[in-house]
Amino acid sequence: MKEHSPTVYVVDDDDAVRNSLKLLLKSAGIAAETSASAPEFLGAYDAAQPGCLVLDVRMPGMSGLEMQQELNVRGAMIPVIFITGHGDIPMAVEAMQHGAFDFLQKPFRDSELLDRVNRALTRDAESRTRLRHTDRIRERLASLSPREREVLDLVTQGKANKMVAGDLGVSQRTVEIHRAHVMQKMEAGSLAELVRMMMTVAPGP
Amino acid sequence: MSTPSPDVLALLQATLDAVVITDDRGRILAFNASAEEMFGYRAIDALGRNVSMLMTANDRLEHDDHLKRYLAGGEARVLGKGRDVRVRHRDGSDFSVFLSVGRIPNSDPPVFVGYLHDTTLRRKALATLENERRLNRLYLDLAQVMLVATDRGGTVQLMNQRTVRVLKKSDDDIVGNSWVDTFVTPEDRPAARAAFRALLMSGSDEPLSCEYHVRASDGEDRFITWRGVALRDAENVATGVMLSGEDITDQRRAESEAHKALERMNSVARLATMGEMAAGISHELNQPLAAIANYAQACVRMLRNPAPDMPEISGALEQISGQALRAGEIIRRIRSLSRNEDVRRESHDINDLIRDVHALLASDARVHDGRLVLDLAEALSKVKVDRVQIQQVLINLVHNAFEAQGEPAYRPDGTPFEVRIATAATESGDIEVSVSDIGPGLAEEMQTKIFEPFFTTKATGTGLGLAISRSIIKAHDARLGYRANQPRGACFYFVLPAHLEPRQ
Repeated sequence: MKEHSPTVYVVDDDDAVRNSLKLLLKSAGIAAETSASAPEFLGAYDAAQPGCLVLDVRMPGMSGLEMQQELNVRGAMIPVIFITGHGDIPMAVEAMQHGAFDFLQKPFRDSELLDRVNRALTRDAESRTRLRHTDRIRERLASLSPREREVLDLVTQGKANKMVAGDLGVSQRTVEIHRAHVMQKMEAGSLAELVRMMMTVAPGP
Repeated sequence: MSTPSPDVLALLQATLDAVVITDDRGRILAFNASAEEMFGYRAIDALGRNVSMLMTANDRLEHDDHLKRYLAGGEARVLGKGRDVRVRHRDGSDFSVFLSVGRIPNSDPPVFVGYLHDTTLRRKALATLENERRLNRLYLDLAQVMLVATDRGGTVQLMNQRTVRVLKKSDDDIVGNSWVDTFVTPEDRPAARAAFRALLMSGSDEPLSCEYHVRASDGEDRFITWRGVALRDAENVATGVMLSGEDITDQRRAESEAHKALERMNSVARLATMGEMAAGISHELNQPLAAIANYAQACVRMLRNPAPDMPEISGALEQISGQALRAGEIIRRIRSLSRNEDVRRESHDINDLIRDVHALLASDARVHDGRLVLDLAEALSKVKVDRVQIQQVLINLVHNAFEAQGEPAYRPDGTPFEVRIATAATESGDIEVSVSDIGPGLAEEMQTKIFEPFFTTKATGTGLGLAISRSIIKAHDARLGYRANQPRGACFYFVLPAHLEPRQ
């Protein structure tokens, strides 16, 4: 999988605001792409591309808030920084409740924007790493035999080999052999690491 | 048979009472005009006949009896005394008269004179008069208005029950008092006196109107609107005045309340509109300001580079000045719109006038997630209008259109809600201005209702916007109308007369 450099997507219907943001980001060495409307952005968006969104709250047609909800529905995890005019505070609050990364009031200092953009990009990179990590654990889990998976589930519940052997009706020696295969296939150095891996992939509460 | 002398007969003819003269046997010797009228006989028919034909059967016997006794012994049963008797008309009907009989002095054989006074008529007249008085009183008292009559000096002669109730005084406390000095509030007395004098001097029967307060006995002041006429005698000299007054205290109070409520609503409406406008305006201004800040900060960063990209920096600086001008333009338009200019009609290009408010209206569009489209015809005649008023109407109509779009504002097909301001020349060369939208439009029964003051379909509406707009357009000799927009939505329009300027 080819790794792209992160991109900041600017969505604002105002030409001057959009273009000035792109230039400002470029002057700070950050690649930016612009869209004049929410549908235009959604039509071209590739979720595999790392980056973050700088999104105007008020736009004709689909507003920034509605676009955020559309992204949530699609399961996109790209961080969203809202930019708002004066008087949009209630909207900004709503945006934050729907998982926005942050919001900025127009006009703003370049450092405020760049600081938030950088933190959003870091957050995006972290979650993408975490996602890759989780994917790898799932791949390893899939390589276990049914018996090995049973052993894994019981030992991560805190059961000793002897109890596992009793539960499964096999010898303690057999459990030890399965357990060694599990540790090897899961690339776990210790039981504690194995437990942490299982917590990572476990379905949420 | 002695006949009265011609002098006596002439005298009798002129007497208003009926007079019948008889001889000693009851034969009629004279029958005057009043007797003719009273009994229905002509004198020539009555003369020589017995007077008993004028009597009821009962009186006939009595009469003969009286006459016999008198002639026999001189006993005067009847002579010299008046009495009520029933007499008979030629048509057979009986009626009452007051009869007095006398003997003509020195007549021998005696000649009797009977004076007959029709008491039926007199009683009837008295009854009629009384009846009229009662009716008049009734009319006076039935009247919902106060009625007051005074003499020349302003002293109350007569008033009705309504007056008594308003003043909370008895009849006796009112009649005989000076109207102005006793019942009018001290502050209003000069006005009341002036009105009184004007009435006496007017010389016309045309009623005069005035308004002043009267004070009731409990100290409460009532506001009365008066109509007055002068009362005149036969020589047309004013002898007094008659006033009719309507108590409008409660009505005025209600009007004042309604007026205050309207004022309050107007200011609320203004505030609400200003609040919305302020949000729109600040957003509108923040856009160029944000762009300026971004460009300038980008320039600073680019200049830190040892080899700065000068064309890019130059382009950014141009953008900065352009955006600063954009901000200035927005402010200029807002200022010209909010300036408190006097209402004045001037010759304007309607399209310029629309473009002037475009920035403000576009911000309204933005607030409502919509789009404002101008569809302006070229080469239109000018119109003579008050710029600010027409712009207010446009703001109202556009604002209404965006508010009427309904939910959801966002359309799945991505098309924004659109409001269109269009200008077009009519066949006669006048200018039609229309504001149309693609919303739900208006049901038929709503199409006239929406122009009524206080009618609103909005939860927070005052119901005044369209009513005010219509009155402004009316003041411009035009009509604010509604028609359905094609293919859907509402369209409000008005046609302004072309203003042809004289050639220079």
